Amino acid sequence: MKKLLIYGYCCLLFFFSFFSYLFIDPGLLYLRNFYTGFFSENRLVVIILYTLFICLFFLTYYLFIKLVRSEKLPLKQIFLLIVANVSILLFSYPAILSFDIFNYIATAKVAFFYHENPYIVMPYEFIGDPLLLFMHAANKVALYAPFWTLLSAIPHLLGFNNFLITLFNLKFFISLFYVAGAFLVWKISKNIYSVVLFALNPLIVIETLVSSHNDIVMMFFALCAFFFAFKKKFILALLFLFFSIFIKYATIVLLPIFIYMLIKYKSGEKIDQQNIFLIAAFLMFIVFLFSFLREEIYPWYAIWFLTFISFLPKKKNLVVLSAALSFGLLLRYVPFMFLGTYFGLTPLIKVCVTVIPVFIVLAWSLISKYAKKYN
Amino acid sequence: MRRYFFVFFVIFFLTSTKITFAQSSYVLPYPSAMPGSISYKSHILSEELQKYWYFGNFGQFYYNLKQSDKYLVEAKTLFEYKQYLLGYNALLKSNEYFIKINPFLIKAKIEGKDISEKSKILDMASQKHVEILVQIEKNTPIEFVWTPEKSSATKLLLRKSIDDSISVRQKNI
Repeated sequence: MKKLLIYGYCCLLFFFSFFSYLFIDPGLLYLRNFYTGFFSENRLVVIILYTLFICLFFLTYYLFIKLVRSEKLPLKQIFLLIVANVSILLFSYPAILSFDIFNYIATAKVAFFYHENPYIVMPYEFIGDPLLLFMHAANKVALYAPFWTLLSAIPHLLGFNNFLITLFNLKFFISLFYVAGAFLVWKISKNIYSVVLFALNPLIVIETLVSSHNDIVMMFFALCAFFFAFKKKFILALLFLFFSIFIKYATIVLLPIFIYMLIKYKSGEKIDQQNIFLIAAFLMFIVFLFSFLREEIYPWYAIWFLTFISFLPKKKNLVVLSAALSFGLLLRYVPFMFLGTYFGLTPLIKVCVTVIPVFIVLAWSLISKYAKKYN
Repeated sequence: MRRYFFVFFVIFFLTSTKITFAQSSYVLPYPSAMPGSISYKSHILSEELQKYWYFGNFGQFYYNLKQSDKYLVEAKTLFEYKQYLLGYNALLKSNEYFIKINPFLIKAKIEGKDISEKSKILDMASQKHVEILVQIEKNTPIEFVWTPEKSSATKLLLRKSIDDSISVRQKNI
């Protein structure tokens, strides 16, 4: 049964990778041979398939959690699942749900190919650059903090000005942070349940290994900071926290936690890791909620608090609610896939599909609570 | 009760969306800090630091244009307040930055960058600068002798300086 689940999961990853190629942008000349136009011509089929994939991902996630709780999934097999995630999804098409990866490539190109400051000069100013044919934020200066821009030099330079090599380099580069993040979750928690909650959460898997969002990089450095703080190496902890902040700024809200831990350490008091992660998850969730002030709440921002919730497997309600929210957030893409516009009914449907799974879980927990009470 | 409040709070944030509209055209900046004010030195420092932040040929194009605009507005304001020596110096600085703009565009062109849009911006900026300089010229004396309290007098050829500034800009139109 377990073997069947693992093989089934690998097949799911493979088919999802295949499915991702239905979303190729017609302007992406480098993958022109793979362009089918299927996505724009069969929107209903696409959203049915996508929703089915998401449901299957969450079903397997639930089954893996069940296996871990019954101690039937050893660390070695979890590691194999992580390797399967990376090696299969590495070859998926990254711009199925978001075009951010093109922004990363463009920012790196502005800085390290054109030798211009990406915080001042926008990609669209390089008239004739082939990136302009398919990137969706050419009229924006670099959106991320300087440390990310600096890190993006690695996949850019190893891409030797070849777009496809750079694209898959970047995917691989981000995958490394996912693996390293999972490793750190294990190192800090020594709990395989936490590792599964983090590394097999479908939102983290899809947004990191398919869409290649740099949020995982920010969270990796934040985890490094916690790792060193728990080892009472506060200088290293602060250094890594600053690295994290200078990826995407959001983790700046974690700074008070480190100050609090430093005060506790100086006064010789013990630090309660569970409380620390609960506060960290709460603070990152607040930043997630407030992200609408900048643009809107994007699904991949959930990685910020999901990372810390994975350290709280004993908080069953929190784990279930965060999984429901992850599910709802991944469904936020459905209205655009179907309607092909960000306006009209799309924003309303996005809100509905996000909150309905959370409501269902809340209602279910309330009903079961009252049922227990009256029984 | 707390749970419902929390759910309401979450829904409020999830349902909030922000729509922004942007509009842009070439305009000169508002006057910033003037010589003699406390913040002026910090502006000078920031100007020096920005020189390194605006790296790259396009970056330097923007930097020099921005500084040239800023000093032109500063000169206009100072001339209006009859602070001729300070206005004269600001105008010289504006010219200094303006002269540097085109060489960076030429360098960018040599690097293979398309400079057509930047050339248009420079053309529009030159026209705007000339328009302002003509305005200044109308209300400014031909020359002015500036006599500070404890040092020798300086004769400022204001009209000539403005004419030179106009001719520097007209080269780019």
